[in-house]
Amino acid sequence: MTDKVSVALMQGSSCWGCFQSLIDIHLRLAEVLPMLDIKFWAAVADFKHEHLEGYPDKSIDVGLYEGAARTEEDIHHLKLMREKCKTLISFGSCSCFGGIPGLANFSDIEECYDVKFRSNKTVKDGKVPTENVPPIAPVIKPNNQYVDFDVYLPGCPPTSDLIFKALTTLIKGDELVLDPHTVCHYCNRDKQETPIPEILRPFDGNADPDRCLLEQGYICMGSATWGLCEGQCVNKGATCRGCFGPPPPIMQDQGANGIGMLGSYAPLEPEVIQDAVRDPLGLFWRFSYATSHLGSMRIRREEAKNQ
Amino acid sequence: MTMAKTQTDSEHEWTPRIVAYCCNWCSYAGADLAGTSRIQYPPNARIVRVNCTGRISPEFILAALDMGADGVLVSGCHPGDCHYTSGNLKLRARWAIMEKAIEQAGIDTRRIRLQWASASEGQVFADGVAKLVEQVKELGPIQEEWK
Amino acid sequence: MTEEKVIRVDPVTRLEGHGSLTLKMGTDGKVKDVQFNVESTRFFEKFLEGRPMEEAVRIAPRICGICPIPHHLVSVKTVEDAWDVTPPPAAIKLRRLLIEAKQLSSHAIHFYALAAPDFVFGPFADPAVRNVAAVLKHLPDVAVQAIKLMQFGQELCKTIGAKAIHPTTAIPGGMLSPLKEEERDYWLGEVPDLMDNMMNTVDLAKQVVNDYIDVITKVAVTPTYYLGLTNNGELDIYDGKVRVMDPEGKIVADFEPHEYTDYYGEHIPNHSYATHIYYKPAGYPEGIWRANTLARCNVADKMATPLAQEALEEMRELVGRPSHHTFAYHYARVIEMVQATEWIKKLLEDPDIVSTDVKLSDVEPKAGEGVGIVEAPRGTLLHNYECDEDGIITKANLIVATNNNIAGIEKSLMDAAKLIFEKEGHKELDLPEPMVKT
Ligand code: SF4
Ligand code: SF4
Ligand code: SF4
Ligand code: FES
Repeated sequence: MTDKVSVALMQGSSCWGCFQSLIDIHLRLAEVLPMLDIKFWAAVADFKHEHLEGYPDKSIDVGLYEGAARTEEDIHHLKLMREKCKTLISFGSCSCFGGIPGLANFSDIEECYDVKFRSNKTVKDGKVPTENVPPIAPVIKPNNQYVDFDVYLPGCPPTSDLIFKALTTLIKGDELVLDPHTVCHYCNRDKQETPIPEILRPFDGNADPDRCLLEQGYICMGSATWGLCEGQCVNKGATCRGCFGPPPPIMQDQGANGIGMLGSYAPLEPEVIQDAVRDPLGLFWRFSYATSHLGSMRIRREEAKNQ
Repeated sequence: MTMAKTQTDSEHEWTPRIVAYCCNWCSYAGADLAGTSRIQYPPNARIVRVNCTGRISPEFILAALDMGADGVLVSGCHPGDCHYTSGNLKLRARWAIMEKAIEQAGIDTRRIRLQWASASEGQVFADGVAKLVEQVKELGPIQEEWK
Repeated sequence: MTEEKVIRVDPVTRLEGHGSLTLKMGTDGKVKDVQFNVESTRFFEKFLEGRPMEEAVRIAPRICGICPIPHHLVSVKTVEDAWDVTPPPAAIKLRRLLIEAKQLSSHAIHFYALAAPDFVFGPFADPAVRNVAAVLKHLPDVAVQAIKLMQFGQELCKTIGAKAIHPTTAIPGGMLSPLKEEERDYWLGEVPDLMDNMMNTVDLAKQVVNDYIDVITKVAVTPTYYLGLTNNGELDIYDGKVRVMDPEGKIVADFEPHEYTDYYGEHIPNHSYATHIYYKPAGYPEGIWRANTLARCNVADKMATPLAQEALEEMRELVGRPSHHTFAYHYARVIEMVQATEWIKKLLEDPDIVSTDVKLSDVEPKAGEGVGIVEAPRGTLLHNYECDEDGIITKANLIVATNNNIAGIEKSLMDAAKLIFEKEGHKELDLPEPMVKT
């Protein structure tokens, strides 16, 4: 028992994808699991929250926190994990940058409630639930505004290989060193650095499978995105949407950089480009709105409103 | 908004803080000219010199707003006159997309301004600064956006 | 017992989602109320507004990392419905291969990792033992077999979808990447092994069913309505009409996806962020339905493939049609795994699967509304978007698989809680949990 590394795995508001990606190391589970002394993992073992609360501070070697802190309970669990774990890993892009759940910050929380509970195609006059459910925070603040992390492991989800590498490194007590390249570095497509005459939507035409998608006019976030995924989408025909967040230093503004690159490739008339890029906020900041400059201004605005 | 503005004004004289990114080859020289020719323009702009507007990432503008600038100005060579051929056209395209994003994020786009001013256009530069300052004064401090 | 009592189980473990249980006991010792509290929500319906339709296809998978592929595909079908686009036949075959691969891996992980520990070690075993790590330690052969099934499914998903979790290759008008011949050859080579593992799983399931036949037929027998897709009466997870069966086993509705608002009711409980979906004509709570592997096996006349059909017939002999036995889910799941496996084999053997004609080049957005339905492992999944002439989403309504089941889960928990607390006095509180994990 003594050689084992104690771990706790916790989820905030998330999709489970990061933990699924961990399970997807498949037979290597047989290598990793015996090294672990699982202290908390609601997904696969019958622990209750009291178990976690009862452990002494800093008594767990490694903690993983998946998801965003959407509810008061998520926030509580996030802080609890920080107290109990020596090394706390921000696991996945939701946890690192707010991720997809962070897009809720585009709207006021009341507008969110309207669509979800009060009125839509199948709901009329519903009320926001209040019994035995934790209150929803008015705005999603990125997890690193609540606690400090020791390691960021971004990706939506992080790949199974990346997770395996990170876990085995950290279990050994070694420092995790990750290559800093962007997705373009791993992309097999040919780049000629030619300006693009026209911006296309992803379903337009049929892309040349061998040439850079951005150069063909399809907006690709590869150059603004950390390549820890090794370019899995771009090498299968799909544009990158930036799900691994910005490359190191990873709190730089990914959306701003994506726009920077697009502007370099497409020096088009302002009206033309504004017309073609229909949803810049939802495209360039899809995974990192909560930690971006625009996102942080929004958070301050919502907080001011709720004071 | 108007009320909040008057309050701030009466408490301690608020003046807009503007960050101005100027291209070394034209607008920075233009700003210089405006100074030496004693052209009057509001003293609110803190000028940051860049080698070409093509060097400007949208992050420069967004970070400035996030850090408390009330307005941001970018001033570069006229289209066709960029010393690196097309740096300003690249910036112009970035600007157009960024402007739309700022609007989507619910921040008033009158806080940002893109203009072209050559080295000899000290007056154009000065007028641009004055115009932005005026716009921003109407909007109040950036903190107003959080209310 | 004279005081009112509230018992909370938090969290409910080994369950996809974020939930707790609340049991309220009255002063008379009777169970007054059982709540399944889903404790978070992320507002996808709201933030899909303003996004171009084709981007919903990339965003929606993040609703669930366990079933991202059904979300990816239902989303693309919804867009195609709104824009009147019909992808080439080979693209549909690729999508079907993708969703069947996911069905296989998801059911495998569920059967082995989430449900099997209860069966293999018994629901009253020590929590430290009752988990997947313990299965790995004590039953390495079973575990390896399980992992191989999951691996096959997940990695085939990655081959087709670029990512197994949150795939990216489906696009309005088809698929962005054809299956390469060498990839097809590789996967065909893996098929015999897959079939072996599958058949071993069937044997294990049968053994479990035999060992626990008492539990299966006596505990948690909760009649509800059932919902599922069928294609000419056959169980289908990619396409078809939506069927509803009443608790007596009568088919009461068989409708096209775009008619869903006539049949789907949505109840907003005060104790859960996940809403309760029910059969609207019957009202709430009478119309509570379940949509899931067992529901599909109930509503379908037959399976689409021969071995699965054999297994279904065996199950029906044992538990009837409809089966209301909550624990029979595990059996139904295995039947669906068999069908998925047979589909995968058939599709990989189809020469069309490597066709490069997988994407239209002239897709045009138009204003309108689309409804898409597929089956996720945990139930019928529905997306409904409205868009403007530029194809930008103006409204979205999403009925995710789990929400079809929550009211049914509460109902079966109520039955179980009564059994435990009223008839047999106090026992372990742990028993109700396996019932949530259907
Ligand atoms: S980062 Fe992506 S995969 Fe992970 S929980 Fe968030 S949405 Fe799911
Ligand atoms: S921009 Fe996209 S397509 Fe082009 S090289 Fe980079 S990752 Fe590849
Ligand atoms: S290519 Fe881009 S979108 Fe795809 S996994 Fe990598 S970072 Fe994510
Ligand atoms: S040199 Fe002035 S804008 Fe490029």
